[in-house]
Amino acid sequence: MTLRQRLRPIALRILFLLGFIGPGLITASAGNDAPGIATYSMAGSFYGYGLLWVLAWAALGAVVLLEMAARMGAATGKGLTELIRERFGMRTTFFVMLSLILANLGTTAAQFAGVASSAELFGISRYVAIPLCAAAVWFLVLRGSYSRVEKVLLFLTLYSVTYVVTAFLAKPPWDQVLRQTLVPAAHLNTDYLLAALATVGTTVTPWACAYMQASIADKGISPIEYPYTRIDVVLGLIVSSAVAALIVISAAATLHASGIRVETAQQAAMALEPFAGNWARHLFSVGLLGASLLAASVLPLATTYAVCEVLGWERGIDRSMQDAPLFYGLYTVLIVLSALIVLIPGLPLFSLMWLSQVLNAVLLPIIVVLMLCLANDRRLMGTWHNRRLTNLLAVLLAVAIAVATGALLISALR
Amino acid sequence: MTTYLSQILGKPVWDADGQRVGRCADVLVAEAAQGFPSLRAIALRDGDKPHLIDGEAIAWLTPSIILNTSRPPAYPLRGDELSLAHQVLDRQIVDTEGRRLVRVNDLQLARVSANGAHFRLIGVDVGTLGMLRRLGIERWVLGLLRLLRRKPPEAIIPWSDVAPLEADRPIRLRVSFEKISRLHPADIADIIEELDRPTGEALLHTLDTEIIADTMQEIEPELQATMLGTLPPEQAADVLEEMGPDDAADLLADLLPEHRSRLLELMEAEDAVDVKKLLTYPEDTAGGIMTTEFATIPLGLTVGQALDYLRRSPEAREDEALHYVYVVDESRRLQGVITVRELVLSAPEAAIREVMQPDFVTVDPLKPQREVARMVAKYNLLAIPVVSVDNALQGIVTVDDAIDAIIPTAWKKRLPRIF
Repeated sequence: MTLRQRLRPIALRILFLLGFIGPGLITASAGNDAPGIATYSMAGSFYGYGLLWVLAWAALGAVVLLEMAARMGAATGKGLTELIRERFGMRTTFFVMLSLILANLGTTAAQFAGVASSAELFGISRYVAIPLCAAAVWFLVLRGSYSRVEKVLLFLTLYSVTYVVTAFLAKPPWDQVLRQTLVPAAHLNTDYLLAALATVGTTVTPWACAYMQASIADKGISPIEYPYTRIDVVLGLIVSSAVAALIVISAAATLHASGIRVETAQQAAMALEPFAGNWARHLFSVGLLGASLLAASVLPLATTYAVCEVLGWERGIDRSMQDAPLFYGLYTVLIVLSALIVLIPGLPLFSLMWLSQVLNAVLLPIIVVLMLCLANDRRLMGTWHNRRLTNLLAVLLAVAIAVATGALLISALR
Repeated sequence: MTTYLSQILGKPVWDADGQRVGRCADVLVAEAAQGFPSLRAIALRDGDKPHLIDGEAIAWLTPSIILNTSRPPAYPLRGDELSLAHQVLDRQIVDTEGRRLVRVNDLQLARVSANGAHFRLIGVDVGTLGMLRRLGIERWVLGLLRLLRRKPPEAIIPWSDVAPLEADRPIRLRVSFEKISRLHPADIADIIEELDRPTGEALLHTLDTEIIADTMQEIEPELQATMLGTLPPEQAADVLEEMGPDDAADLLADLLPEHRSRLLELMEAEDAVDVKKLLTYPEDTAGGIMTTEFATIPLGLTVGQALDYLRRSPEAREDEALHYVYVVDESRRLQGVITVRELVLSAPEAAIREVMQPDFVTVDPLKPQREVARMVAKYNLLAIPVVSVDNALQGIVTVDDAIDAIIPTAWKKRLPRIF
């Protein structure tokens, strides 16, 4: 393919982003699944605009890390987990994969919690909905008719666009919004730290870095094309972070302003009332259901692929269960465990949705350290190694999270 | 006496006087043309600087690394060594016996006494036991298996069946690439698809043009166009010529028009003409999957004359399968079909007119792919002729190309695209 042929889809995407045409694909990555909606709604409802500065820095961190991952993918043609194995050996790899599995297990459980919440908003018990959906996801993905379902689910995720509209309809005090975005104001108590870490953990996850690098490596981007890919990645992140911010603002302007500390999906749905009135609940649950089902289908599968690939196990949906037992086994375990977690009696679904994201944040510094070692290696990256600013920002992010985690542990143990 | 690389790396090295001289950081072996490479040197790390010690100085590798001298000779790099820890361990290599890509979990070294080389690299451990050994828990798992009275799974590939892919300079991988080029093109294609892009491209570039052509046909369509683009244009044109016109047409159809016309210009005129003709038909019709390489004979010959004609016919030489021979008149209108079997078994004096099959099945160039496949299956054909309205023979659809239409499109082997 010539340069122009490869640039065309990227150029079109950039046009979309700039013109805000067809927001579907872009906002699909904007965290409108259960963990995303729950975390951002929680942030807005608990702290008003007080967590916006955390979100802003988390977004910056996401840009820095994901650009680094994309650059590594383009420079080496290999995925992150593969590079980790080749450079750091088996033990580090095993530890990293275990962390990824744990974090993704938490997130998948959060997705199923989203599914359960939506079902309960429609009056279906979670003990009926979850086993059904888990089984459906397992069958659909492994039997291959997933792509058809994907289109329907993708369409349902458009509902996050309503947050954009709602945020403006709710008429928040924009000067206050701006001030609280730019001026940090940290409180060192357990609740605040949990909320802050969850916000970071939803915006940038270790898994997103691995997935980004693998996708770019797959596409075979050359040095000439990379600047355009970089623009694509950065713009996409800016848009999705903006949507996240608007979700926070919507929740702040509606829920926090009414003094509601959101604890259930039903309350979270009220954030959409300025836009949808009485239909807020239904709009919210249908969208949440779609987005969560989509993520619950893809995340365990992608995780299983990555783990099997780096450990050298047979993998692939085109293989039979006898040929690739570990692949099918791991995938099944992920789905079953996530579903079981959600079915624990009395488990607060909404809290699970956002608390699981704290795990993502806590595990992030490990990945950052490894990525920094790799991205600064001149033998590996050639002229594409990290610049000083990138290193600085990444280290800042890792240190901030580590400090927050430490503070959290201290205040929790007190 | 065999030992594993994982049990050597990082271990202290003792000289003949019992003094510690450093820690083992790497093992270098010779790149042998055949068989099992001998151990040339070990790299010691003593503080910061690594230095190399000649393999001749090693007395024991297990249970500890002990040298046979108190002043081990340094090893000067010759440039043909393979660094096991940096270039083989944890990397992907090709298992030429199993025809697949595997990842090296561990390496097996053995002590041999013949020919003065003390240790040789004999095998690659790609199994779970190797992985557990690296994690340090192999002994427990083996104990557990013994308790359950189950045999531990063996997954050691002899080094002679293996082709490493990573080296400082591609020239060092000559032997590897030779081994890989002997695999079936469909297997080479699978391996290239699974490798990361730079290594896959490097591998493809080392193959002969003929093998590249065969391999290209088996690579998934999107990757095909990309890979072709990485070849220098003259070689790309050569590759297209080596391919059958139907496969070349399929590949060219996926390229940008400028690229396509440039390659067509570089191709030899006759091949280009054939390919251009095939490009005029939509991809999913008989015209789109047919090939213009088939054997014809004129009317009025005997069987013996026909066989002579075929032996001298360049057209027949181009037809790789040669299941059927098509009898045509001066305007290339199809009059009959004979199987090569009939030709071989019939008496040489028999007239072709008597032996040939005058009632035969044909399709027109615009017939949909699935229809063609159905007909091939229904009439048990190995190839079906494609004729225009006036019955002039345009091409044939061979059974392998017809089957491609019926096989459901495989799920993407890689990561799902969404997210």
